[in-house]
Amino acid sequence: MKNRNHVSSLGSRIGNAAVWFVLAIFCLVVLVPLVFMFCSSFMPASEIMTMPYGWIPKIWRWENFHIALAGNDNSWLYLRNILNSLIVAITVSVTTVILSAMIGYGLAKFKFKGRDAVFMGIMATMMIPFETVMVPLYLVVVNLHMQNTYWGLILPFLTNAFGVFLMRQYLITFPTEILEAARIDGASEHSIFWHIVFKNSGPAAATLAILAFRQQWDNLLWPLLVTQSEEMKTIPAYIVKFAAEKDADEGTMMAVAVIASIPVFILFFTLSKYFLGGASVYSAGKE
Amino acid sequence: MKTAKRRTSLEAAHDRWGWFFVAPGIVFFAIFSFYPIINAFYTSFFNKKLLSLKAPKFVGFLNYSKVLSSPDFWNSIRATLVFTVGTFVPLFIFSLVLAVLIASRKKFQRTLQMALYSPAVLSSVVAALIWLLIFDPRGLANQAVNFICHTPGIDHQWLSDSTMVQISTMILYSWKYVGYFTILFLTGIAKIPQSVNEAALIDGAGPVQRFFRITLPLLKPTTVLVSVMILIQCLKTFSTQYLFTQRGAPLTAINVLTLNIYNTALRDGNMGRASVMSVLLFVFMLALSWLQIKLSEKGEED
Repeated sequence: MKNRNHVSSLGSRIGNAAVWFVLAIFCLVVLVPLVFMFCSSFMPASEIMTMPYGWIPKIWRWENFHIALAGNDNSWLYLRNILNSLIVAITVSVTTVILSAMIGYGLAKFKFKGRDAVFMGIMATMMIPFETVMVPLYLVVVNLHMQNTYWGLILPFLTNAFGVFLMRQYLITFPTEILEAARIDGASEHSIFWHIVFKNSGPAAATLAILAFRQQWDNLLWPLLVTQSEEMKTIPAYIVKFAAEKDADEGTMMAVAVIASIPVFILFFTLSKYFLGGASVYSAGKE
Repeated sequence: MKTAKRRTSLEAAHDRWGWFFVAPGIVFFAIFSFYPIINAFYTSFFNKKLLSLKAPKFVGFLNYSKVLSSPDFWNSIRATLVFTVGTFVPLFIFSLVLAVLIASRKKFQRTLQMALYSPAVLSSVVAALIWLLIFDPRGLANQAVNFICHTPGIDHQWLSDSTMVQISTMILYSWKYVGYFTILFLTGIAKIPQSVNEAALIDGAGPVQRFFRITLPLLKPTTVLVSVMILIQCLKTFSTQYLFTQRGAPLTAINVLTLNIYNTALRDGNMGRASVMSVLLFVFMLALSWLQIKLSEKGEED
């Protein structure tokens, strides 16, 4: 590149700078709302709603976070709802990984009758949008008397076709010789699964766990349907109710938003390779 | 080695273990995936009401004809299509351009990816909450637009005007997902052999020429795939519109299909009609998914 383009080296340097400039502008625009959320969470409402917006708080209003968690009535309802979200998201992501690994292993390494039919059937559900099944699914939960329970929030999401697909693709490449050797050594099928297969499915399991966690953390529609009691709501449902109140304080609102985002941002910064990789795995999965 | 051997009864017994691993998951799929989708079709032919003790009556295609002749349904189709097209165009263009620009960088690729991806990490409700304040009459959106256009003091009614609120939802969605689709494009660009680009460089092709003559044609499989993924993502939008209407934004303008299904089922308790709309949405998405698979298969053959 250096000696090929001496003629246009000035031009390419300008081009280079222009590309950096465009990228910087884009990143700035994308990040501004996040910075706005963060800065505003420390401000009194009057300061957020002034023109022009000041970015750095003049008065640091730490009570925003206290009020966000405790609520105006000191009921600490948000804290309870955060706990619900954590319970649901963690349970779903752990169980999805285990169940998907089991199915994926069964489909990848055994040649039982009806295997291909099972696989096709599961893949077909990947095309069903949740919005289509939510009404009948809701009726299932009503019939099982699972409204306002963790069961109702969790059970419909324990299996996920994409997870099965991901695990199957990953485990197909797992060397069969290792499994055979373990069998000759007299290991039981359970222990082969747990100690050899599951232990070695790390990257796929991590990608799937994060995906499932984020889906549940983001899930609004389902909790809206199955939870009517305030105690059983999850974070997104709480936020909607909170925001719908006309006198909701803007500073507290942003504190609520920051608190809701902390767990996913911690995951994002510590495990970013599974976030960025997860996106491409998803596209590969759809191919 | 194994294939050369004949299948013994011992092996068949071993392969039955497959069911042991698959069965628990199948039960969940049966209850929470297969049954509901069959039930959605079934319910769409009954006048089933939520919280009604009367047994639902078979009504044939009445629900379908009622839905298809209701202006409310066609308004939802309009709202969904406008939103989908209006979000697709900026999302597609920006994520493609950003991916090409990032791929040309030798440094900070990862930092750029993370910065652009970060809004996708937020939950949709939180994203909507932030933009609720940005689109406030006294918020950043008015300040920014008035600063750029030198029109001080004008309120653009981001959330209250029925045209503007549609644009607002599109801006929010494009902002949230641009990084996600940029990364999908980047993985596609990474598959393009470096040698092709270098050859073009030696032949004196400029960056614009290389983009249109090399990157774009070779990126076609990814382009098709990402397009369909954007479309499906847009059709599924719910949280943004729901939160905005809860804060008093005009419902008719942004009453997308998912929101309409939710309101018909829960607010009006009309399960039959909600099921009809669900079935129609399903058919629509099935067609798109089918298209996606067909097109990506074709892309692989090429």
